Amino acid sequence: MDRPPLTAFLRTWFRLLTVQASWNYDRMIGVGLGYAVEPLMRALPGGRDGERYRGAMQRAARYFNAHPYLTGLAAGAFARAEHEQVPGEQIERLRTALLGPLGAVGDRLVWAGTLPAASALGLALSAAAPTGVGAAALLALYNVPHVALRVWGLGAGWRRGTGLARALATPVLTVALRVVGPVAAVGIGVALPLVAARLGGALDVAAWLAGAVSFAATWVIARWLAPTLGGVRLALLAAAAVLIGTGL
Amino acid sequence: MSALTIAALLAWGVVAGLDFVSVLQAMVARPLVAATVAGVIVGDPGNGVLVGMALELYALEVLPVGGARSPDYGPGAVAAAAAARGVPPAALGVALAVGLLIAHIGDWSIVALRRRNTARVRAATAGLDAGDLRTISRVQLLGILWDAGRALGLTALGLGVAYAARHWLPVAPRATVLLTAVLVGVGLATAAGNAVRLTARRNGVAWLALGLLGGGLWIVLR
Repeated sequence: MDRPPLTAFLRTWFRLLTVQASWNYDRMIGVGLGYAVEPLMRALPGGRDGERYRGAMQRAARYFNAHPYLTGLAAGAFARAEHEQVPGEQIERLRTALLGPLGAVGDRLVWAGTLPAASALGLALSAAAPTGVGAAALLALYNVPHVALRVWGLGAGWRRGTGLARALATPVLTVALRVVGPVAAVGIGVALPLVAARLGGALDVAAWLAGAVSFAATWVIARWLAPTLGGVRLALLAAAAVLIGTGL
Repeated sequence: MSALTIAALLAWGVVAGLDFVSVLQAMVARPLVAATVAGVIVGDPGNGVLVGMALELYALEVLPVGGARSPDYGPGAVAAAAAARGVPPAALGVALAVGLLIAHIGDWSIVALRRRNTARVRAATAGLDAGDLRTISRVQLLGILWDAGRALGLTALGLGVAYAARHWLPVAPRATVLLTAVLVGVGLATAAGNAVRLTARRNGVAWLALGLLGGGLWIVLR
């Protein structure tokens, strides 16, 4: 098996940064994955004019979906399987088998964990530290694990190939999945009073009262009455009510 | 605002809009980041941070799992920071409303973009099924270009709405203060509700309460 050159891995890694650019309802990120993994296929026997390359690229852009940061795992594993001349049907089965786990792990680890935790830290520091520190902290806390995850993903996918499932069972990932949600919830809890104090610092008592009533009403509506309405729609309705009520 | 400032805001709105889904996802699209930078661009970083904080509370609700729909806060935050320039901190309500409105419109624009991408993919089915690299690359690059156009249009719309709100919306000073309080209150409840959701089966309210206690202590002790 010819290992693709390092530049091919770098090309794939950078292309994976745009994996969702052509997100669509038919193939989801399949086209993006095909685009990203292509440099790793060039080293297949016969090169870009070879039968293996054509077959691999035919499979590469089919339907696929996963968390974008973990798509590198899939890209590495598919490329490795193609290089090991694993039968196409088996690669298709691997593709299908990865859909659920790569989405679920990424969603819990990143969207429901790292991102809200970084956001909470950014909010707390924005309220308590000089201008710009909060935004910088958010970017730093979020992007260190983000980039690390992408780098690890492509490498682990290539190393594991069709045995990729083991990569998702690493202790670091398991522990992170367990603690990241509670950490984010605590972080948001810490940030909220600081943000309320900072944003409400210039408000008088009557305005604070209006804010408290809208907080309580939103909590009740979002928790029990209309959970799918969403904060933005609620806010726009509340804004319209305030403007009309105060005689716009 | 000068033409250069408007051009810089539009460019920043495109960067934030692309970062949201299509390119990188390094979270420069988060309202706290997008509004802080936009505040610097318009010469009022302090208000940029304040509107960014308020919009960030709403953005905490977003869990962009799979193909879930969600507001696009990047261009919205840019518009909010532009609308907030020079406004007293107690009267940021109109700017926040502008930001939320544009973010909400951004939600629809992303759905439209995805439908456009779907149509393009269907038209290119033969090439994609054949694994033709040119077809794959074209679909992918056009996706980026269209998203950039979407973000540019959304940011331009946001700046237009911000200008109209600043100059033509006849809101009484007291109403803007109430609007600020109400929108911050809704945002805080939205963020708190999300925190509970993050740990749904593991005492979410307890973890949130622990954090609230810590935040309260921070305020008392600082």
